[in-house]
Amino acid sequence: MLRAIRCDEVDALVIQSSIGPQVYTLQGQDAETNRFRGEMLAQVSDAVIAVDNEERIIYLNAAAERLYGFEASRALGGTLSSIYESRWLRPEDEAVAATGLRERGEWRGESVHFRRDGREMNVDSGVTALRDSTGQRTGVLSVIRDVTERKQHENRVRNSEIRYRRLFETANDGILILDPDSRKITDANPLITRMLGYPHSKLVGSELFEIGLLKDQAASQEMIRQLSQTKQVRYENLPLRNREGGVQEVEVVAILYNQDGRPVIQCNIRDITERRRSEEHVKMLMAEVNHRAKNLLAVVQAVAYQTGKYGDPATLTARLSDRIEALAAGHDLLVKNHWQGVKVADLVEAQLAHFRDLIGERVLIEGPDARLTMAAAQGIGMALHELATNAAKHGALSNLEGTVRIAWQVTNGAKSTFTMSWLEDGGPKVVAPMGKGFGQIVIRRMAAAAVQGVAEIDFREGGLSWRLNAPVENALASTTAGSR
Amino acid sequence: MSARKTIFDDQHPRVLIVEDEPVLALLLEECLIETGFEIAGVTARLEAALAMIESGVCDAAILDGNLAGVDAGPAASALRAHGIPFVVLSGYSADQLSSAFSGALRLQKPCGMDRVVRALRSILPALPPPPVIPSAGEQTPV
Repeated sequence: MLRAIRCDEVDALVIQSSIGPQVYTLQGQDAETNRFRGEMLAQVSDAVIAVDNEERIIYLNAAAERLYGFEASRALGGTLSSIYESRWLRPEDEAVAATGLRERGEWRGESVHFRRDGREMNVDSGVTALRDSTGQRTGVLSVIRDVTERKQHENRVRNSEIRYRRLFETANDGILILDPDSRKITDANPLITRMLGYPHSKLVGSELFEIGLLKDQAASQEMIRQLSQTKQVRYENLPLRNREGGVQEVEVVAILYNQDGRPVIQCNIRDITERRRSEEHVKMLMAEVNHRAKNLLAVVQAVAYQTGKYGDPATLTARLSDRIEALAAGHDLLVKNHWQGVKVADLVEAQLAHFRDLIGERVLIEGPDARLTMAAAQGIGMALHELATNAAKHGALSNLEGTVRIAWQVTNGAKSTFTMSWLEDGGPKVVAPMGKGFGQIVIRRMAAAAVQGVAEIDFREGGLSWRLNAPVENALASTTAGSR
Repeated sequence: MSARKTIFDDQHPRVLIVEDEPVLALLLEECLIETGFEIAGVTARLEAALAMIESGVCDAAILDGNLAGVDAGPAASALRAHGIPFVVLSGYSADQLSSAFSGALRLQKPCGMDRVVRALRSILPALPPPPVIPSAGEQTPV
C-alpha cells in the first residue's frame, strides 16, 4: 500500500481511526498533502521510519515510537542506531540488502532488532529508497513489522516436529502410520523395519496383512471398521511374522485421529516376548515359593509331632517355639545365600545366637571356609540347636566356667571326609545320658541322616562330645567341596 | 520282581520312604513302625531309591515328588513297572509334578501322619485290621 502511495498510484485513502473514517487526498506535493500523508502514516500499525542519506531519522510514525519505545521528538535528527541495533539472521543478508537497494531501490526480509532497553524483536522489514523529483536518492524509508510472536510460534512448531520425529524414530514400540482410505502404510519407524526385516521403502505402500501383521485383508478391513467407531483398537496378543518367517508375539494398539483435517491411523506394535517370559518366570517363582512354604510347614509339623511326643507337656510350647526359631534362623541363612548352601561358620553363629557374648571366650569356633549343602545345613543346624540347648540346661554352658569347642575340617584322601565336632569341657559332672527325647534323636540321627554320615555321641565325665563324619560330597556344596 | 516276598509273609508290609527332608523322613519312619509297618529303607536320593525298588525289598512306598531339586518321576515309573503301590507326598500341586505321577494317590504337604497311614492302607490290598494309632500319630497337625 505504501509503495502504491509513494508511486502516486492512488488519489485518496480512507482510514479507520478512533474518530471515524477519515479521507485523505494524495494529490499534489504541497505542505498540506505532506501533512495529510503524515497523519495517514500515523494510523498505520506497522512502524514507518524515514532516514536521509546520512542515516539521520527524518520521520517516524506513532507505531515506530511504540515499537522502539522512543518519542519522535527525541528520535528525529538522531541516527537509526540511537533507537535500535540490528543483527542479520544470516551473514549474507547484509550484502543482499545493499545490492537490492542499490540495483532495485528496495529490499525486503527478516532481521533482529534490539531496542535500547535490550528487548529483542524479530522484525520483517520492507526498505525502499526515497528519491527526489530528479531521481536523486535522498534517503531510505523502512516499514517494519514485529513478527516475534509468529517467529516464536514457528519455532515451537519446528521444535515440536523435531521432538516427535525423534520420539517416532527412537520409540521402543514399532510404529506404523496408515491412510484409512487406502489402508496402506504411509510411514514406518526404524524399529518396526528391524522387527519385520523389511526396508522402509517396502513397508510404505503395503497393507498390514502383506507385511505379516494381520492375517488377511478381511482382518485389515475389520480393524478399520472398528477404528471408525471406537477410535482405538487394541489387540493383546497377535503373532507378527517377519520377513524370514519368524514369529514374535506383539501387542498392537491402533488409534484413529485427524491430522490437518485428514484421518490418520497410528499403530503401535510392542514386542511382548520378554513380558511373556517374565510373566511365566513370576508364575514359576510363585509356585516355587508355595512349594517351599509347604515343605517348611511340613518340617514344622514334624517338629511339632516330635516335640509333643516327648518331654513335659507343661514346657511343650516353649520347646516348640525354640525349635521353630532355630528353623527360622536356618531358613534365613538359606535365603541369604540364595539356596546355594551356607557357610559352616555362619550356621554355627546363627544357631548359637543366644550365646553370642560367649563366642571367642567360652565358645570357640574353628574351621576352614566351607559351604554346606541345603540339606546338610538344615540337619546340622538342628543338631547344633539341640546341642546348645542341652549344654545350657545340663552341660558346659549351664555353669560359669565350662567351655564348648566347635570345630570342623575337611580331610583329603582317597575318600575326602567332612568332620565336625562339639566338645564340652568344664561343665558339671556328666552323670547320665541326657534325657531321652526328640533333642537326642536329632543329635544322634538328624545330622547324620542329612549328610548320610555317622554321628557319635559320648558322655565323658568332663562333658559331652559329639562327632559327625560324612563323605565330603554329601556335606559340602560342590563349589567348596575339597577346599582346604 | 518275582524275587520279592509277598506282602503277607510276615503281616508287616514293608514301606520304602523316599523323602529329602530328614525330620520328615524320621517322623514317617517312627509313625509307620508304630502303626504296624516295617521300614524297607529310607533315602533322600533318587539313585538309591531306584536301586531299592529294583532289589524288590518293599511292598509299598511313600515318595516325595522332588528330591533336593531332582524330579522323582523316574522312581514313580519304576514303582509302577514293578507293580508296587505308592503314595506321593509333596509340597507341589498336582500340575507342578511331572507326568510320571499322574493318577497316583497324592498327599499335599503339610499332611498329618494319620492321613499318611490311612493313604498307605488304602493302596495296599486286604491288610489285617488296623492297629490303634498311637496318641502322637493322632495329634492334630499344626
